[in-house]
Amino acid sequence: MDQQAQVQQGGAVEGSQHEGAAGGEFERQPVPQSRLLGFKSFIGMYAGEHCAGTELMIGPLFVAAGVSAYDLVMGLIVGNALAVLSWVFLCAPIATRARLTLYYQLEKICGKYLVKLYDVANGVMFCFLAGAMITVSATALGVWFKFPMPGLTDLYPNSVGWVVAVLAVGALISVVAAYGYETVSKFANIAAPWMVLVFLVFGFVGLRQFITSTGAEIHSAGDLWTLAKTSIWKGGDPLPGQVKFTFWHVTFFAWFCNMAMHVGMSDLSVFRFAKKSWYGVASASGMYVGHFMAWISASILYAYQLHLNAADTDVLPGPLAFRAAGLAGLICVIIAGWTTANPTIYRAGLAFQAIIPKASRFKVTLLTGLVATIAAMFPMLAMKLLGFVALYGMLLMPMGAVVVVDFWLMRKLGLRSNFAELSGRPFNWAAGLAWFLTLGFCGAVMILYGFDKMFFVSLPGWFVAAVVYILASMVYQKAVRPAGLAA
Amino acid sequence: MRMIAMVVSWLSLAALTAPSVMYLAGAERMDLDTVKRIMLWASVVWFVTAPMYMWNGKKEGAG
Repeated sequence: MDQQAQVQQGGAVEGSQHEGAAGGEFERQPVPQSRLLGFKSFIGMYAGEHCAGTELMIGPLFVAAGVSAYDLVMGLIVGNALAVLSWVFLCAPIATRARLTLYYQLEKICGKYLVKLYDVANGVMFCFLAGAMITVSATALGVWFKFPMPGLTDLYPNSVGWVVAVLAVGALISVVAAYGYETVSKFANIAAPWMVLVFLVFGFVGLRQFITSTGAEIHSAGDLWTLAKTSIWKGGDPLPGQVKFTFWHVTFFAWFCNMAMHVGMSDLSVFRFAKKSWYGVASASGMYVGHFMAWISASILYAYQLHLNAADTDVLPGPLAFRAAGLAGLICVIIAGWTTANPTIYRAGLAFQAIIPKASRFKVTLLTGLVATIAAMFPMLAMKLLGFVALYGMLLMPMGAVVVVDFWLMRKLGLRSNFAELSGRPFNWAAGLAWFLTLGFCGAVMILYGFDKMFFVSLPGWFVAAVVYILASMVYQKAVRPAGLAA
Repeated sequence: MRMIAMVVSWLSLAALTAPSVMYLAGAERMDLDTVKRIMLWASVVWFVTAPMYMWNGKKEGAG
Protein backbone atom coordinates (compact mmCIF):
# COMPACT_ATOMS: atom_id res chain seq x y z
CA MET A 1 0.00 0.00 0.00
CA ASP A 2 1.62 2.65 0.81
CA GLN A 3 3.63 5.25 -0.23
CA GLN A 4 1.63 6.00 -3.15
CA ALA A 5 1.58 9.07 -1.19
CA GLN A 6 5.07 9.96 -1.99
CA VAL A 7 5.14 10.47 -5.62
CA GLN A 8 1.63 10.38 -6.81
CA GLN A 9 2.55 13.76 -7.84
CA GLY A 10 -0.33 14.04 -10.13
CA GLY A 11 -2.54 12.15 -7.75
CA ALA A 12 -4.60 13.22 -4.88
CA VAL A 13 -2.44 16.17 -4.09
CA GLU A 14 -3.34 17.83 -7.19
CA GLY A 15 -6.67 16.20 -7.34
CA SER A 16 -7.80 17.19 -3.95
CA GLN A 17 -7.11 20.77 -4.42
CA HIS A 18 -6.23 20.80 -8.01
CA GLU A 19 -2.70 21.85 -7.43
CA GLY A 20 0.40 19.95 -6.51
CA ALA A 21 3.68 18.58 -7.55
CA ALA A 22 2.53 17.97 -11.02
CA GLY A 23 3.29 21.58 -11.07
CA GLY A 24 -0.34 22.46 -10.87
CA GLU A 25 -0.47 21.69 -14.56
CA PHE A 26 -3.39 20.49 -16.66
CA GLU A 27 -5.71 20.08 -13.72
CA ARG A 28 -8.78 21.00 -15.68
CA GLN A 29 -7.70 20.16 -19.20
CA PRO A 30 -6.31 17.11 -20.97
CA VAL A 31 -2.53 16.74 -20.88
CA PRO A 32 -1.22 17.85 -24.30
CA GLN A 33 0.88 15.56 -26.52
CA SER A 34 3.96 17.70 -25.96
CA ARG A 35 3.97 16.96 -22.22
CA LEU A 36 3.69 13.18 -22.38
CA LEU A 37 6.36 11.11 -20.63
CA GLY A 38 8.30 8.02 -21.66
CA PHE A 39 8.08 4.54 -20.20
CA LYS A 40 11.21 4.92 -18.05
CA SER A 41 9.69 7.76 -16.02
CA PHE A 42 6.95 5.45 -14.80
CA ILE A 43 9.29 2.58 -13.95
CA GLY A 44 11.40 4.83 -11.71
CA MET A 45 8.40 6.39 -10.07
CA TYR A 46 6.64 3.13 -9.23
CA ALA A 47 9.82 1.36 -8.07
CA GLY A 48 10.60 4.18 -5.65
CA GLU A 49 7.18 4.86 -4.29
CA HIS A 50 6.26 1.31 -3.34
CA CYS A 51 9.25 0.78 -1.09
CA ALA A 52 8.00 2.63 1.96
CA GLY A 53 8.01 2.54 5.72
CA THR A 54 4.81 0.56 5.85
CA GLU A 55 6.47 -2.34 3.98
CA LEU A 56 8.41 -2.91 7.19
CA MET A 57 5.12 -3.51 9.02
CA ILE A 58 3.34 -5.49 6.32
CA GLY A 59 6.08 -8.11 5.80
CA PRO A 60 6.23 -9.05 9.50
CA LEU A 61 2.43 -9.02 9.81
CA PHE A 62 2.28 -11.74 7.14
CA VAL A 63 4.42 -13.92 9.41
CA ALA A 64 2.24 -12.98 12.39
CA ALA A 65 -0.74 -14.10 10.29
CA GLY A 66 0.73 -17.61 10.12
CA VAL A 67 1.41 -17.61 6.40
CA SER A 68 3.23 -20.55 4.82
CA ALA A 69 6.11 -20.22 2.34
CA TYR A 70 4.09 -21.41 -0.66
CA ASP A 71 1.11 -19.22 0.20
CA LEU A 72 3.31 -16.17 0.63
CA VAL A 73 5.48 -16.50 -2.44
CA MET A 74 2.78 -17.71 -4.84
CA GLY A 75 0.21 -15.33 -3.36
CA LEU A 76 2.50 -12.37 -3.89
CA ILE A 77 3.40 -13.42 -7.43
CA VAL A 78 -0.25 -13.84 -8.43
CA GLY A 79 -1.64 -10.90 -6.43
CA ASN A 80 0.95 -8.45 -7.69
CA ALA A 81 0.36 -9.65 -11.26
CA LEU A 82 -3.35 -8.97 -10.82
CA ALA A 83 -2.55 -5.50 -9.50
CA VAL A 84 -0.38 -4.77 -12.53
CA LEU A 85 -3.13 -6.05 -14.84
CA SER A 86 -5.59 -3.74 -13.09
CA TRP A 87 -3.36 -0.79 -13.86
CA VAL A 88 -2.88 -1.96 -17.45
CA PHE A 89 -6.47 -2.82 -18.34
CA LEU A 90 -8.61 -0.67 -16.06
CA CYS A 91 -6.74 2.50 -15.19
CA ALA A 92 -4.24 3.29 -17.95
CA PRO A 93 -6.60 2.90 -20.95
CA ILE A 94 -8.97 5.53 -19.53
CA ALA A 95 -6.07 7.73 -18.42
CA THR A 96 -4.46 7.79 -21.85
CA ARG A 97 -7.76 8.49 -23.61
CA ALA A 98 -9.25 11.16 -21.32
CA ARG A 99 -5.90 12.50 -20.02
CA LEU A 100 -7.65 14.05 -17.01
CA THR A 101 -7.00 13.82 -13.28
CA LEU A 102 -9.30 11.50 -11.37
CA TYR A 103 -10.74 14.46 -9.55
CA TYR A 104 -11.67 16.45 -12.59
CA GLN A 105 -13.13 13.35 -14.18
CA LEU A 106 -15.09 12.61 -11.00
CA GLU A 107 -16.30 16.19 -10.88
CA LYS A 108 -17.69 15.85 -14.41
CA ILE A 109 -19.41 12.59 -13.51
CA CYS A 110 -20.40 13.08 -9.90
CA GLY A 111 -20.60 16.82 -9.34
CA LYS A 112 -18.74 19.15 -7.01
CA TYR A 113 -20.41 18.14 -3.77
CA LEU A 114 -19.90 14.42 -4.21
CA VAL A 115 -16.24 15.02 -5.05
CA LYS A 116 -15.93 16.97 -1.80
CA LEU A 117 -17.30 13.95 0.05
CA TYR A 118 -14.73 11.82 -1.75
CA ASP A 119 -12.08 14.31 -0.59
CA VAL A 120 -13.14 13.86 3.03
CA ALA A 121 -13.01 10.06 2.78
CA ASN A 122 -9.64 10.22 1.07
CA GLY A 123 -8.30 12.76 3.57
CA VAL A 124 -9.35 10.70 6.59
CA MET A 125 -7.73 7.57 5.16
CA PHE A 126 -4.56 9.51 4.34
CA CYS A 127 -4.49 10.74 7.93
CA PHE A 128 -4.53 7.21 9.31
CA LEU A 129 -2.05 6.00 6.73
CA ALA A 130 0.32 8.81 7.71
CA GLY A 131 -0.26 7.78 11.33
CA ALA A 132 1.00 4.27 10.55
CA MET A 133 4.07 5.76 8.87
CA ILE A 134 4.78 7.95 11.91
CA THR A 135 4.48 4.83 14.06
CA VAL A 136 7.12 3.11 11.93
CA SER A 137 9.54 6.02 12.28
CA ALA A 138 8.93 6.30 16.03
CA THR A 139 10.01 2.68 16.55
CA ALA A 140 13.47 3.74 15.39
CA LEU A 141 13.69 6.24 18.24
CA GLY A 142 12.99 3.43 20.69
CA VAL A 143 16.29 1.82 19.74
CA TRP A 144 18.16 4.94 20.84
CA PHE A 145 16.12 5.97 23.85
CA LYS A 146 15.16 2.52 25.11
CA PHE A 147 11.60 3.33 26.14
CA PRO A 148 9.01 0.54 26.22
CA MET A 149 7.42 0.12 22.80
CA PRO A 150 4.01 -1.33 21.94
CA GLY A 151 3.51 -5.04 21.41
CA LEU A 152 1.58 -6.85 18.70
CA THR A 153 -1.62 -6.99 20.74
CA ASP A 154 -1.41 -3.50 22.23
CA LEU A 155 -4.26 -1.22 21.26
CA TYR A 156 -3.33 1.84 23.29
CA PRO A 157 -0.10 3.75 23.98
CA ASN A 158 1.86 1.79 26.55
CA SER A 159 4.49 4.24 27.78
CA VAL A 160 5.17 7.93 28.18
CA GLY A 161 8.34 7.47 26.13
CA TRP A 162 6.32 6.09 23.23
CA VAL A 163 3.88 9.00 23.32
CA VAL A 164 6.70 11.54 23.44
CA ALA A 165 8.56 9.83 20.57
CA VAL A 166 5.45 9.77 18.37
CA LEU A 167 4.70 13.37 19.28
CA ALA A 168 8.24 14.46 18.36
CA VAL A 169 8.26 12.59 15.02
CA GLY A 170 4.70 13.63 14.18
CA ALA A 171 5.30 17.29 15.01
CA LEU A 172 8.44 17.41 12.90
CA ILE A 173 6.77 15.76 9.93
CA SER A 174 3.67 17.94 10.22
CA VAL A 175 5.61 21.21 10.37
CA VAL A 176 7.70 20.24 7.33
CA ALA A 177 4.57 19.17 5.48
CA ALA A 178 2.86 22.45 6.33
CA TYR A 179 5.71 24.38 4.74
CA GLY A 180 5.23 22.34 1.56
CA TYR A 181 6.72 19.05 0.62
CA GLU A 182 8.85 19.89 -2.39
CA THR A 183 12.15 19.55 -0.53
CA VAL A 184 11.15 16.31 1.15
CA SER A 185 9.98 15.02 -2.21
CA LYS A 186 13.40 15.74 -3.70
CA PHE A 187 15.09 14.06 -0.78
CA ALA A 188 12.76 11.07 -1.16
CA ASN A 189 13.82 10.68 -4.79
CA ILE A 190 17.45 10.61 -3.72
CA ALA A 191 16.81 8.15 -0.91
CA ALA A 192 14.72 5.77 -3.04
CA PRO A 193 17.47 3.71 -4.75
CA TRP A 194 19.42 3.48 -1.49
CA MET A 195 16.32 2.45 0.42
CA VAL A 196 15.45 -0.31 -2.05
CA LEU A 197 18.92 -1.78 -1.63
CA VAL A 198 18.79 -1.57 2.16
CA PHE A 199 15.55 -3.57 2.00
CA LEU A 200 17.38 -6.13 -0.15
CA VAL A 201 20.17 -6.29 2.42
CA PHE A 202 17.59 -6.97 5.15
CA GLY A 203 16.62 -10.10 3.23
CA PHE A 204 20.19 -11.26 2.63
CA VAL A 205 21.21 -10.78 6.25
CA GLY A 206 18.05 -12.42 7.60
CA LEU A 207 18.54 -15.39 5.32
CA ARG A 208 22.14 -15.87 6.42
CA GLN A 209 21.08 -15.66 10.06
CA PHE A 210 18.53 -18.40 9.46
CA ILE A 211 21.09 -20.58 7.67
CA THR A 212 23.57 -20.15 10.51
CA SER A 213 21.14 -20.67 13.36
CA THR A 214 19.46 -23.73 11.83
CA GLY A 215 22.71 -25.23 10.55
CA ALA A 216 21.03 -25.76 7.19
CA GLU A 217 23.21 -26.74 4.24
CA ILE A 218 22.22 -24.76 1.19
CA HIS A 219 23.51 -26.21 -2.08
CA SER A 220 20.53 -25.68 -4.32
CA ALA A 221 17.30 -23.78 -4.74
CA GLY A 222 15.57 -26.85 -3.33
CA ASP A 223 17.55 -26.55 -0.10
CA LEU A 224 16.62 -22.91 0.15
CA TRP A 225 12.95 -23.71 -0.36
CA THR A 226 13.11 -26.37 2.33
CA LEU A 227 14.59 -23.80 4.73
CA ALA A 228 11.85 -21.35 3.79
CA LYS A 229 9.10 -23.93 4.41
CA THR A 230 10.43 -25.41 7.60
CA SER A 231 12.00 -22.44 9.36
CA ILE A 232 10.98 -19.08 7.93
CA TRP A 233 7.33 -19.22 6.85
CA LYS A 234 6.12 -22.32 8.66
CA GLY A 235 2.41 -21.65 8.40
CA GLY A 236 0.19 -22.81 11.24
CA ASP A 237 -1.90 -20.71 13.55
CA PRO A 238 -1.63 -16.92 13.46
CA LEU A 239 -0.37 -15.01 16.46
CA PRO A 240 -3.06 -13.74 18.89
CA GLY A 241 -5.23 -10.99 17.44
CA GLN A 242 -4.21 -11.65 13.81
CA VAL A 243 -6.29 -13.14 10.99
CA LYS A 244 -4.95 -16.41 9.52
CA PHE A 245 -3.55 -15.72 6.03
CA THR A 246 -3.85 -18.33 3.27
CA PHE A 247 -2.82 -18.17 -0.38
CA TRP A 248 -6.07 -16.37 -1.15
CA HIS A 249 -5.58 -13.78 1.59
CA VAL A 250 -2.09 -12.99 0.35
CA THR A 251 -3.24 -12.86 -3.27
CA PHE A 252 -6.16 -10.55 -2.60
CA PHE A 253 -4.15 -8.41 -0.21
CA ALA A 254 -1.37 -7.91 -2.76
CA TRP A 255 -3.96 -7.18 -5.44
CA PHE A 256 -6.12 -4.81 -3.43
CA CYS A 257 -3.65 -3.04 -1.15
CA ASN A 258 -3.30 -0.37 -3.84
CA MET A 259 -6.89 -0.71 -4.93
CA ALA A 260 -7.56 3.00 -4.53
CA MET A 261 -4.86 3.62 -7.12
CA HIS A 262 -5.67 1.11 -9.86
CA VAL A 263 -9.26 -0.13 -9.56
CA GLY A 264 -10.15 3.05 -7.65
CA MET A 265 -8.58 5.09 -10.48
CA SER A 266 -6.42 7.47 -8.44
CA ASP A 267 -3.63 6.79 -10.91
CA LEU A 268 -5.59 8.30 -13.76
CA SER A 269 -3.74 11.39 -12.60
CA VAL A 270 -0.42 9.61 -13.16
CA PHE A 271 -1.04 7.75 -16.40
CA ARG A 272 -2.65 10.73 -18.11
CA PHE A 273 0.99 11.63 -18.83
CA ALA A 274 1.73 8.23 -20.46
CA LYS A 275 2.18 8.03 -24.21
CA LYS A 276 0.63 4.54 -24.36
CA SER A 277 -1.74 2.68 -22.12
CA TRP A 278 0.57 -0.34 -21.92
CA TYR A 279 2.88 1.84 -19.81
CA GLY A 280 0.69 0.54 -17.00
CA VAL A 281 3.05 -2.44 -16.87
CA ALA A 282 5.60 -0.06 -15.32
CA SER A 283 3.68 -0.57 -12.08
CA ALA A 284 5.29 -4.04 -12.00
CA SER A 285 8.53 -2.38 -10.89
CA GLY A 286 6.79 -1.13 -7.75
CA MET A 287 4.90 -4.33 -7.14
CA TYR A 288 7.84 -6.70 -7.45
CA VAL A 289 10.38 -4.44 -5.73
CA GLY A 290 8.23 -3.10 -2.89
CA HIS A 291 5.42 -5.58 -2.58
CA PHE A 292 7.47 -8.69 -3.22
CA MET A 293 11.14 -8.20 -2.38
CA ALA A 294 10.64 -5.67 0.44
CA TRP A 295 7.76 -7.56 2.07
CA ILE A 296 9.65 -10.83 1.89
CA SER A 297 12.83 -9.23 3.29
CA ALA A 298 10.98 -7.59 6.16
CA SER A 299 9.12 -10.80 6.91
CA ILE A 300 12.40 -12.76 7.10
CA LEU A 301 13.68 -10.37 9.78
CA TYR A 302 10.56 -10.86 11.87
CA ALA A 303 10.54 -14.62 11.34
CA TYR A 304 14.12 -14.70 12.60
CA GLN A 305 13.10 -12.74 15.69
CA LEU A 306 10.39 -15.35 16.38
CA HIS A 307 12.86 -18.13 15.61
CA LEU A 308 15.17 -16.83 18.34
CA ASN A 309 12.38 -16.23 20.83
CA ALA A 310 8.83 -17.33 20.01
CA ALA A 311 7.50 -15.12 22.80
CA ASP A 312 9.00 -11.97 21.26
CA THR A 313 6.09 -11.16 18.97
CA ASP A 314 6.53 -7.38 18.86
CA VAL A 315 6.46 -5.98 15.32
CA LEU A 316 8.87 -3.09 15.63
CA PRO A 317 10.58 -2.04 12.40
CA GLY A 318 13.23 0.02 14.22
CA PRO A 319 14.77 -2.78 16.28
CA LEU A 320 14.30 -5.28 13.41
CA ALA A 321 16.24 -3.07 11.00
CA PHE A 322 18.90 -2.20 13.56
CA ARG A 323 19.64 -5.83 14.31
CA ALA A 324 20.04 -6.60 10.61
CA ALA A 325 21.81 -3.54 9.26
CA GLY A 326 22.90 -1.40 12.20
CA LEU A 327 22.72 2.34 11.96
CA ALA A 328 22.10 2.26 8.21
CA GLY A 329 19.03 0.10 8.83
CA LEU A 330 17.78 2.46 11.49
CA ILE A 331 18.23 5.47 9.22
CA CYS A 332 16.34 3.55 6.53
CA VAL A 333 13.38 3.10 8.89
CA ILE A 334 13.33 6.79 9.76
CA ILE A 335 13.67 7.95 6.16
CA ALA A 336 11.17 5.40 4.86
CA GLY A 337 8.57 6.54 7.38
CA TRP A 338 9.34 10.22 7.09
CA THR A 339 9.51 10.58 3.31
CA THR A 340 6.18 8.82 2.95
CA ALA A 341 4.31 10.30 5.91
CA ASN A 342 5.26 13.79 4.87
CA PRO A 343 3.50 13.99 1.51
CA THR A 344 0.65 11.88 2.87
CA ILE A 345 -0.06 14.51 5.52
CA TYR A 346 0.33 17.24 2.93
CA ARG A 347 -2.15 15.53 0.65
CA ALA A 348 -4.59 14.86 3.47
CA GLY A 349 -4.36 18.55 4.35
CA LEU A 350 -5.14 19.50 0.77
CA ALA A 351 -8.09 17.13 0.71
CA PHE A 352 -9.53 18.75 3.83
CA GLN A 353 -8.77 22.23 2.58
CA ALA A 354 -10.85 21.49 -0.49
CA ILE A 355 -13.83 21.35 1.86
CA ILE A 356 -13.06 24.74 3.36
CA PRO A 357 -11.19 26.58 0.59
CA LYS A 358 -10.82 29.76 2.64
CA ALA A 359 -8.93 28.04 5.45
CA SER A 360 -5.16 28.50 5.50
CA ARG A 361 -3.41 25.48 3.97
CA PHE A 362 -0.65 25.83 6.55
CA LYS A 363 -3.06 25.58 9.48
CA VAL A 364 -5.12 22.81 7.93
CA THR A 365 -2.00 20.74 7.24
CA LEU A 366 -0.76 21.27 10.80
CA LEU A 367 -4.12 20.20 12.15
CA THR A 368 -4.12 17.18 9.86
CA GLY A 369 -0.64 16.29 11.08
CA LEU A 370 -1.86 16.54 14.66
CA VAL A 371 -4.69 14.10 13.93
CA ALA A 372 -2.25 11.71 12.21
CA THR A 373 0.13 12.01 15.17
CA ILE A 374 -2.60 11.22 17.68
CA ALA A 375 -3.62 8.24 15.54
CA ALA A 376 0.03 7.10 15.48
CA MET A 377 0.12 6.94 19.27
CA PHE A 378 -2.39 4.09 19.12
CA PRO A 379 -0.46 1.01 18.01
CA MET A 380 -3.66 -0.75 16.97
CA LEU A 381 -3.48 1.20 13.72
CA ALA A 382 -0.07 -0.15 12.73
CA MET A 383 -0.59 -3.61 14.21
CA LYS A 384 -3.83 -3.98 12.23
CA LEU A 385 -2.34 -2.42 9.12
CA LEU A 386 -3.32 -5.33 6.86
CA GLY A 387 -6.97 -4.79 7.68
CA PHE A 388 -6.73 -1.01 7.46
CA VAL A 389 -5.18 -1.17 4.00
CA ALA A 390 -7.94 -3.49 2.81
CA LEU A 391 -10.52 -1.10 4.20
CA TYR A 392 -8.86 1.88 2.51
CA GLY A 393 -9.12 0.27 -0.91
CA MET A 394 -12.68 -0.82 -0.29
CA LEU A 395 -13.83 2.64 0.69
CA LEU A 396 -12.68 4.30 -2.54
CA MET A 397 -13.19 1.38 -4.95
CA PRO A 398 -16.85 2.12 -5.86
CA MET A 399 -15.89 5.43 -7.45
CA GLY A 400 -13.45 3.57 -9.67
CA ALA A 401 -16.30 1.37 -10.88
CA VAL A 402 -18.34 4.50 -11.56
CA VAL A 403 -15.55 5.96 -13.69
CA VAL A 404 -15.13 2.73 -15.71
CA VAL A 405 -18.86 2.39 -16.36
CA ASP A 406 -19.24 6.04 -17.19
CA PHE A 407 -16.33 6.00 -19.62
CA TRP A 408 -17.00 2.71 -21.45
CA LEU A 409 -20.63 1.75 -21.02
CA MET A 410 -22.95 4.70 -20.51
CA ARG A 411 -23.28 5.74 -24.13
CA LYS A 412 -23.59 2.14 -25.27
CA LEU A 413 -26.52 1.78 -22.88
CA GLY A 414 -28.20 4.89 -24.23
CA LEU A 415 -27.26 6.93 -21.18
CA ARG A 416 -25.16 10.07 -20.87
CA SER A 417 -21.66 10.11 -19.47
CA ASN A 418 -20.29 13.02 -17.45
CA PHE A 419 -23.85 13.63 -16.33
CA ALA A 420 -23.09 16.12 -13.55
CA GLU A 421 -21.32 18.41 -16.00
CA LEU A 422 -24.07 17.99 -18.56
CA SER A 423 -26.94 18.61 -16.15
CA GLY A 424 -25.16 21.20 -14.01
CA ARG A 425 -26.03 19.19 -10.90
CA PRO A 426 -23.54 19.40 -8.02
CA PHE A 427 -24.41 15.91 -6.74
CA ASN A 428 -25.08 13.00 -9.10
CA TRP A 429 -27.28 10.78 -6.99
CA ALA A 430 -26.71 7.78 -9.23
CA ALA A 431 -22.97 7.88 -8.47
CA GLY A 432 -23.68 8.67 -4.81
CA LEU A 433 -26.00 5.69 -4.49
CA ALA A 434 -23.46 3.45 -6.20
CA TRP A 435 -20.90 4.48 -3.59
CA PHE A 436 -23.12 4.27 -0.51
CA LEU A 437 -24.98 1.07 -1.44
CA THR A 438 -21.72 -0.68 -2.33
CA LEU A 439 -20.23 0.22 1.02
CA GLY A 440 -23.45 -0.99 2.63
CA PHE A 441 -23.14 -4.27 0.71
CA CYS A 442 -19.49 -4.69 1.76
CA GLY A 443 -20.35 -3.89 5.38
CA ALA A 444 -23.22 -6.38 5.37
CA VAL A 445 -21.01 -9.13 3.96
CA MET A 446 -18.43 -8.51 6.67
CA ILE A 447 -21.03 -8.49 9.43
CA LEU A 448 -22.68 -11.66 8.15
CA TYR A 449 -19.60 -13.66 7.18
CA GLY A 450 -16.85 -12.24 9.39
CA PHE A 451 -14.54 -9.26 9.24
CA ASP A 452 -11.74 -11.27 7.66
CA LYS A 453 -13.84 -11.06 4.46
CA MET A 454 -12.71 -7.45 4.14
CA PHE A 455 -9.78 -8.79 2.11
CA PHE A 456 -12.11 -10.25 -0.55
CA VAL A 457 -15.34 -8.30 -0.53
CA SER A 458 -14.09 -5.52 -2.79
CA LEU A 459 -14.18 -7.86 -5.78
CA PRO A 460 -17.94 -8.46 -5.76
CA GLY A 461 -18.29 -4.92 -4.42
CA TRP A 462 -16.90 -3.51 -7.68
CA PHE A 463 -19.60 -5.27 -9.69
CA VAL A 464 -22.28 -4.14 -7.25
CA ALA A 465 -21.12 -0.55 -7.71
CA ALA A 466 -21.16 -0.89 -11.50
CA VAL A 467 -24.66 -2.38 -11.59
CA VAL A 468 -26.10 0.11 -9.08
CA TYR A 469 -24.60 3.00 -11.02
CA ILE A 470 -26.16 1.83 -14.29
CA LEU A 471 -29.59 1.14 -12.77
CA ALA A 472 -29.63 4.34 -10.73
CA SER A 473 -28.50 6.34 -13.79
CA MET A 474 -31.42 4.94 -15.81
CA VAL A 475 -33.82 6.35 -13.26
CA TYR A 476 -31.89 9.51 -12.38
CA GLN A 477 -31.12 10.60 -15.93
CA LYS A 478 -34.81 10.31 -16.82
CA ALA A 479 -35.85 12.34 -13.81
CA VAL A 480 -33.18 15.00 -14.17
CA ARG A 481 -32.90 15.96 -17.79
CA PRO A 482 -30.16 18.37 -18.78
CA ALA A 483 -31.63 21.79 -19.54
CA GLY A 484 -30.53 21.80 -23.16
CA LEU A 485 -32.08 18.38 -23.77
CA ALA A 486 -35.42 18.88 -22.07
CA ALA A 487 -38.30 17.42 -24.03
CA MET B 1 32.30 16.94 -11.18
CA ARG B 2 28.81 15.70 -11.90
CA MET B 3 30.19 12.61 -13.62
CA ILE B 4 32.54 11.87 -10.72
CA ALA B 5 29.69 12.24 -8.24
CA MET B 6 27.62 9.87 -10.33
CA VAL B 7 30.31 7.20 -10.49
CA VAL B 8 31.13 7.47 -6.80
CA SER B 9 27.47 7.32 -5.80
CA TRP B 10 26.85 4.21 -7.88
CA LEU B 11 29.96 2.61 -6.40
CA SER B 12 28.62 3.42 -2.95
CA LEU B 13 25.44 1.52 -3.75
CA ALA B 14 27.56 -1.44 -4.82
CA ALA B 15 29.47 -1.13 -1.54
CA LEU B 16 26.15 -1.01 0.30
CA THR B 17 25.04 -4.40 -0.99
CA ALA B 18 28.22 -6.35 -1.73
CA PRO B 19 29.11 -7.07 1.94
CA SER B 20 25.67 -8.55 2.60
CA VAL B 21 26.00 -10.76 -0.47
CA MET B 22 29.35 -11.98 0.82
CA TYR B 23 27.85 -12.47 4.27
CA LEU B 24 25.00 -14.48 2.76
CA ALA B 25 27.49 -16.55 0.79
CA GLY B 26 29.26 -17.34 4.06
CA ALA B 27 32.51 -15.50 3.32
CA GLU B 28 34.77 -16.14 6.30
CA ARG B 29 36.03 -12.60 6.81
CA MET B 30 32.65 -10.94 6.49
CA ASP B 31 30.86 -10.90 9.81
CA LEU B 32 27.67 -8.97 10.51
CA ASP B 33 29.43 -6.11 12.30
CA THR B 34 31.62 -5.53 9.27
CA VAL B 35 28.57 -5.58 7.02
CA LYS B 36 26.90 -2.95 9.18
CA ARG B 37 30.00 -0.76 9.30
CA ILE B 38 30.52 -0.80 5.53
CA MET B 39 26.81 -0.15 4.98
CA LEU B 40 26.96 2.94 7.15
CA TRP B 41 29.92 4.39 5.27
CA ALA B 42 28.41 3.52 1.92
CA SER B 43 25.21 5.29 2.99
CA VAL B 44 27.14 8.40 3.97
CA VAL B 45 28.88 8.45 0.59
CA TRP B 46 25.55 7.98 -1.22
CA PHE B 47 23.86 10.85 0.60
CA VAL B 48 26.83 13.13 0.00
CA THR B 49 27.34 12.37 -3.70
CA ALA B 50 23.85 11.61 -5.03
CA PRO B 51 22.37 15.06 -4.27
CA MET B 52 25.18 16.61 -6.33
CA TYR B 53 23.47 15.43 -9.50
CA MET B 54 20.01 14.38 -8.35
CA TRP B 55 18.90 17.40 -6.35
CA ASN B 56 18.33 19.64 -9.31
CA GLY B 57 17.92 16.82 -11.79
CA LYS B 58 14.93 16.31 -14.01
CA LYS B 59 11.91 15.21 -12.05
CA GLU B 60 11.22 11.54 -12.59
CA GLY B 61 7.65 11.50 -11.42
CA ALA B 62 4.76 11.28 -13.73
CA GLY B 63 3.81 14.72 -13.49
